[in-house]
Amino acid sequence: MKVLIEPITLREKYDNVDGLILSLKDYSVQSGRYYTLEEIKTIKENNKELEIFINMNKNFFNKEIEALEKTLKEIDEINITGILFYDVSVLKIKKDLNIKTDLVWASTYMVNNYKTCNYYYNKGVEYALIGKEITLEEIKEIIANSKIKSMIEVVGLPSVAFSKRKLISNFYSDLNKKSKESIDVIEKVTGETYKVDENNLGTSFYLKKIMNGTVVIKDLFDANAKYIVMKEYGIEEATFYDLVTDTKKYIEGNCLDNNYLEKYKKLGDYTNFFFKKTIYKVKKND
Amino acid sequence: MTKKIELLAPAGDIERLKVNLLYGADAVYIGGQSYSLRANATNFSIDEIKESCDFAHKLNKKVYLTLNIVFHNEDMDGVEEYIKDVVDAGIDAFIVSDPFIISHIKENYKNVEVHLSTQNGACNYKDVEYFKEEGIDRVVLARELSKEEIKEIIDKTEVDIEVFIHGAMCTCFSGRCALSNYVTNRDANRGGCAQVCRFAFKSEEEKDFTFATKDLNMANHIKEMMDIGIKSLKVEGRMRSLYYLATVIGTYRELIDRINDNTLTKEIMDTLEYRLSRVANREVSTHYFDHEADFNDQYYTGRQELSNQDYLGLITGYDKENSCIILVERNYFEPGDEVEIFTPNKEIYKYKIDKIYDENMNELEVARHPEEVLKLKFETELPKYSMIRLINKNTD
Repeated sequence: MKVLIEPITLREKYDNVDGLILSLKDYSVQSGRYYTLEEIKTIKENNKELEIFINMNKNFFNKEIEALEKTLKEIDEINITGILFYDVSVLKIKKDLNIKTDLVWASTYMVNNYKTCNYYYNKGVEYALIGKEITLEEIKEIIANSKIKSMIEVVGLPSVAFSKRKLISNFYSDLNKKSKESIDVIEKVTGETYKVDENNLGTSFYLKKIMNGTVVIKDLFDANAKYIVMKEYGIEEATFYDLVTDTKKYIEGNCLDNNYLEKYKKLGDYTNFFFKKTIYKVKKND
Repeated sequence: MTKKIELLAPAGDIERLKVNLLYGADAVYIGGQSYSLRANATNFSIDEIKESCDFAHKLNKKVYLTLNIVFHNEDMDGVEEYIKDVVDAGIDAFIVSDPFIISHIKENYKNVEVHLSTQNGACNYKDVEYFKEEGIDRVVLARELSKEEIKEIIDKTEVDIEVFIHGAMCTCFSGRCALSNYVTNRDANRGGCAQVCRFAFKSEEEKDFTFATKDLNMANHIKEMMDIGIKSLKVEGRMRSLYYLATVIGTYRELIDRINDNTLTKEIMDTLEYRLSRVANREVSTHYFDHEADFNDQYYTGRQELSNQDYLGLITGYDKENSCIILVERNYFEPGDEVEIFTPNKEIYKYKIDKIYDENMNELEVARHPEEVLKLKFETELPKYSMIRLINKNTD
C-alpha cells in the first residue's frame, strides 16, 4: 500500500512518500493549494522517483474545453502517473485525443460503490479516489469487488461542498466590508466550525476538524488497498511530515506498531464516516 | 424558430401527479419508494407507478421515475429487479445519475428512455457527448449554465436537453454537496438532504453567514428557451402542495400555449407573473441563465419562507339539488371576498363570496376551519381538482 500526499508547503524534495497529488490551478477545486503546470513540472523533476497525480477535478464549461484539451495533451507529454477527474469531459477527451496518461475517477461524493468503479475501470479508468462519506466496511467491499486501483483519503480536513457562487464576497458585499479569501463559520446546533474558502472558481467548504484515519490504515492494508491519501491542508507542517514519515514506516512494518497509533491519537478522535453510517431513509417526522 | 416543448412537473404522490397532468403538464417525474432523492416525499409503490402510467398514457402524456441517488454497495442489491418491475409498470423514462445504472438500463430495455440527472452536473458539450455515446436519451443540465452555454450544447450535440425553470435552487453544484451529511448525518445524495444551505452560521462578523439562494423563476425567458431548442422545461418541487402545482403548472401551460399561438400580450404576461408570485414563498431570480449568479441572488438573513392564505379551497364535488359546489376549506374566507375559481380545463370564473353553507346547508357567518366541507352557490358543475383562490379580501 502506497502513501500519497496532497502537500501545501512547497518543498524541493518530498521524502518518505510514494507520490503526490497536485491540484492544477484553474482546473481544480476543493483543494488547499493550487499549482501551475510549470510548478508541477519542477516538482516532478526534483522528485523523479515519485508517482505524480495531477488533480483536475472541476466542473468544466464549454469555454474551457479547448484549453482543457490543450492542457491534457501537454500533461500527456510529461509522463505523470495519473489525472484526477470529476467531470467526464476529461474521460471523453482522453478517448478522443488518445491521451495515454491514466485517469483517476474522483467525483468526490459519488465514488461509493464497486459496480460503478468497475464501470469506469471498463472504460479505461485505472484508479478511483473513493468517497470519504462511506464506511470502512463499504470501502473494503469496493476494494474486494473492483479491479480499479483504490485511493482512500485517511487524514485531512474533510472537503464538504463546492459552489460556483462567490459566497464570501457576497457576504462581505452585504456587510459593505472588504472581502476575505477564507473565513471560519460555526454551525449553531452542532457547534462545529467550517472553513470556507473562495477563489476565482467558487467557494469550498471544509469541516475544520482533522479526519484522523490512522486507525483504519491497518484495515486498509489488510484489505489490499493500493493507496492511502493524506492531505496537509489544515495540519501544522512539522506534524504532517512527521506523520507521513511515521506512516510510511508503519506500513513497511505491516501495520503492527501500536506505538504509531498511540502517537497519532494527538490528531484527535474524529474518524469521519469510517464507523458511522449516514441516515438514508428519512421518516416524515424526523 | 419555436419548437414543441415539454412541460415537466414534479409529483410526490398520485394525487399530485393527476393534478399536474390535468393542469397541463406533458409529463410528470416521480420517485419510487427506493433510490429517489426525496426520501421525505410519499413516493410511489410499483402499483401506484402502474396506475400513474395508465392515467398518463390515457391522456397521451408521460411518467418518468427518478433513480438518481448516488448508489452505495448496499443500494445495488435488488436495483436490477426493481428496474424491471418499473419497466413492466409502464414507465416512459428513468432519470439516473449513476453511469452503471444507465448502461444497465440501456443494455436491457430498448423501449424505455434514460435521462441523465442534474445530479451528474453536466456543464459542457463534451459531458453530453460522452453520455450520448452511452445511449442517453436526454440530459438534464447543471443549473449553473447560461443561455449561450445551453444553446452551444444543443447545437453541438443534438441531444435532447432538459433544464429547470421554476422552484428552489441548490447553492452548490448538485451532487457536489455533502453539507447535510456532515451537519445532520442525513445523506444528501441518497434522499436525506436537510437543506443546510438554508441554515444561518455564526460568523466572525456582526451578522450570521448565510448562503441560501432565491428561487428560480424563468417565466420571462420561456420563449428564448423554446427558441434555442430546449426539449423539456422542468419545475422543481415533488413535495409542493396541490394548489402550488395547479397554479405553477397551469400558468406555465398557458404561457407556453400563448407563445405558440402568438397570443401573449403584456397584460396577460403581467397576470401570469402575478399568479406565480402569489404562490412563491421566496424571492425569485433567473440565476445563471442571463447573468453570472451574484450578490443579488441569495439571502443574507435566516430562513425566508413566506406564505399567504390565497388558497381557499379544493372543489371536490357538486350538489345538484342545491346548485352548490362542494369544497374542502384550506384558508379563512368570508362573504364579500372576491375570488377566482379555476379549473383544470383552463376556465377561470370571477366570483364574489355570498352565502357560505356547511355540508348540511346550514348557513355560516365565515369559513374558519381548514379541512371543513363547505358549499357555495354556483350554477355550473366543475371538474374535480378545481380550486378557489382569493383575489381581493372583503374590506367592509
